[in-house]
Amino acid sequence: MDFNLSEEQRLLLDSASRYVRERCDLESRRQAVREADGFSRRHWQHFADQGWLALTLPEAAGGMGLGMADAIVLMEALGRGLICEPLIDSSILCGDLIAGAPEQGGLNALLADIGSGTALAALAHVELDGRSEFDTPVTCTAEPDGDGWRLQGTKHRVFYGSSASHLIVSAQVSGEMGYSLFVVAAGADGITLDNFPLIDGTRAADIHFDQVPVSAPARLYNGQAAAKAMDRALNRAIVAASAAALGSMEAVMDMTADYLKTRQQYGKPLSSFQALTHRMADILVETEQARSMLYAALAALDQDDSTEQNRQVSAAKALIAQAGMWVTGQGIQLHGGIGVTEEYAVGHHYKALQVYHLRFGDSDFHLERCARLIDTGAMPGH
Amino acid sequence: MNFELSAEDRAFRDQVRQFLKDNLSPDIVRRARTEVHPPNEEDRRWWNSVLNKQGWAAPSWPKEYGGTGWTPVQRHIFEMECRLAGAPELRWQGLRLIGPVICEFGSDAQKKRYLPPILEGTEQWAQGFSEPGAGSDLASLKTTALLDGEHYMVNGQKLWTTEAGYSELGFFLVRTDTTSKHGGISMLIIDMKSPGVTVRPIEMINGDISTYEVFLDNVRVPRENLIGEPGSAWTQTKFLLANERTSSADIDKAYGDLRRIRAIARHEKKNGRPLMEDPHFRLRLTRLTLEVEALDWSVLRVLSGAPSNYPRASASVLKIKGSQLQHRLTELAVDALGPRALRLYNRADAFAAEPSALWPEHTPGVMADHLYMRACTIYGGAMEVQKNIIAKQAFGL
Repeated sequence: MDFNLSEEQRLLLDSASRYVRERCDLESRRQAVREADGFSRRHWQHFADQGWLALTLPEAAGGMGLGMADAIVLMEALGRGLICEPLIDSSILCGDLIAGAPEQGGLNALLADIGSGTALAALAHVELDGRSEFDTPVTCTAEPDGDGWRLQGTKHRVFYGSSASHLIVSAQVSGEMGYSLFVVAAGADGITLDNFPLIDGTRAADIHFDQVPVSAPARLYNGQAAAKAMDRALNRAIVAASAAALGSMEAVMDMTADYLKTRQQYGKPLSSFQALTHRMADILVETEQARSMLYAALAALDQDDSTEQNRQVSAAKALIAQAGMWVTGQGIQLHGGIGVTEEYAVGHHYKALQVYHLRFGDSDFHLERCARLIDTGAMPGH
Repeated sequence: MNFELSAEDRAFRDQVRQFLKDNLSPDIVRRARTEVHPPNEEDRRWWNSVLNKQGWAAPSWPKEYGGTGWTPVQRHIFEMECRLAGAPELRWQGLRLIGPVICEFGSDAQKKRYLPPILEGTEQWAQGFSEPGAGSDLASLKTTALLDGEHYMVNGQKLWTTEAGYSELGFFLVRTDTTSKHGGISMLIIDMKSPGVTVRPIEMINGDISTYEVFLDNVRVPRENLIGEPGSAWTQTKFLLANERTSSADIDKAYGDLRRIRAIARHEKKNGRPLMEDPHFRLRLTRLTLEVEALDWSVLRVLSGAPSNYPRASASVLKIKGSQLQHRLTELAVDALGPRALRLYNRADAFAAEPSALWPEHTPGVMADHLYMRACTIYGGAMEVQKNIIAKQAFGL
């Protein structure tokens, strides 16, 4: 067991932390979310230049071929800075789905574009009655048409959907068990979008597919392979998002401790009130639990046993979402009124945690998933 | 970062498992798994001697004094496997508290006299720290030890001296100098049979006696029983506590508790179905399982020397979460058992109980453990004191 950062991870952490410190203050974030994309193309380009978008992509496609341990080092640092660019969606979630596809013909070029930031991929999977990617029904259809298919249906709240150059779309091919996953150019004929802002300033879209033609090689997976690939990619996206959530918790902890030292009431600093310092202790206890759970999930990603992998990732999501909502919520409380204002970072971290909590299955979902998997025998301590 | 257990550690775990399988009897395991506190003293002394024959009695000691030379992670594996196999929990005071202090600060004569019987389990120790007026504020202790020729004359009163009633020896914090607060405290070894030592049991809410008051009335203690220099006990005490940075997480007990709760929930019925199938109960159990696993990783991080922004707060973080989880785990065990948990077992009944249809093996000790564990957020530094430590050490508040 070794929890120390490698030299490369140390450098990655340093460069990401420096970027966040120097370039990602709240004012620049405020400007970023005012852009049409709901994030900053300038940051996006910087991420690409640094190789961060290619971090976990395969070397064969020009990626750096690094693992999720490296990704969480990066994401925690970026989470501290409340970055709103779709690194997880495009590079990790969609990148993993594309890189894992059995037929790689032509996909390396797309992966290279994702790594260089010229392509931006988003997952269009959830539909009206789906609470998350895990439980959504797939009613979109792919009807055979010549060598390829035509997509029909509506995808609901596709994160970064309006900025995407490529969509990974789930659809039912008639006569087949389970859904298939297709990669589609977002500008294809027959695609229309209704895009809307989210509470953290980013954008999402409902996307309508009306007889959208897709070619034969655009089908990445079918049947069980699609569901399996989806689980794997979601597990990795959740671990990366959990690292960003932890970054928010750490940032809130720091700014709240500083605030207690400087803010004066009744003629003395808030740090002289034990009720408040004890709350800070609780905040550290919960944040440390969250960090440990992130490591547990990261360790599980390397295991062959997919049940254990799923269980551990769900465990992390359930615990970190609850701990994170509580910690950032207490951050607001200890700041008092300023904590609920737009001009102060702590409330933005709370919203970031709210997004984390509700995306990719909320904490109740993951707790229940964990409970189910415990029944099937994946159980710690014998 | 690499979180894999090495092949060496996995082989080590298998070796420990085999040893436990070969050496523990069902009776011993059944008594240990009641979690009745204090555990059965004969079982513990016997297990101490069995481990000593294997050379495994004192994993935390330096190798030259009888330690095992294991890595911190291996010690963790060993303790976890022992608990899950139902081995009796060894007495801490000798093996884990005073033993390492004597190894580090004791004279050659003290090492020769006291260490072997600790390893063999033939001499057990009491820890005389707290006093009626010195609980959380330990340094305000008043018991005095004044030099009178070649002896110290000890006078005072100790409280919460766990297991003093059946311990051969005690290590006591005493004031050898009344002019300095922290610098006037020394650590003194006292034979519990010395004239002037009176031990009075304190009955606890779990219906048992595990802790005592100790009255020290003109007790004559040989001068050579003082550990290190006079006035150096505060350093020794900090060393003693630092040795036990992760154990207050009680992580091996927590896994044992989860195991017990699952056993109860598979057996007990709710609406005619096993409680384990009740959705609400399952979520409570799952929630606790996650938190225990997270704590386990927190322990592993500290044991592995993981980098941390808050190194001086880590022991308190583990203590707070570990003790909070003990409350919730033992509560859930009681809730799982339901009203049958209300039956008062005396310890003889709990240990002797032959399982029956009405009172199966998992019944005794559940409530006693829960009641005793109310103390875990108080002993070893109350939770509120731990929070003060974190506020200061982690945030400078």
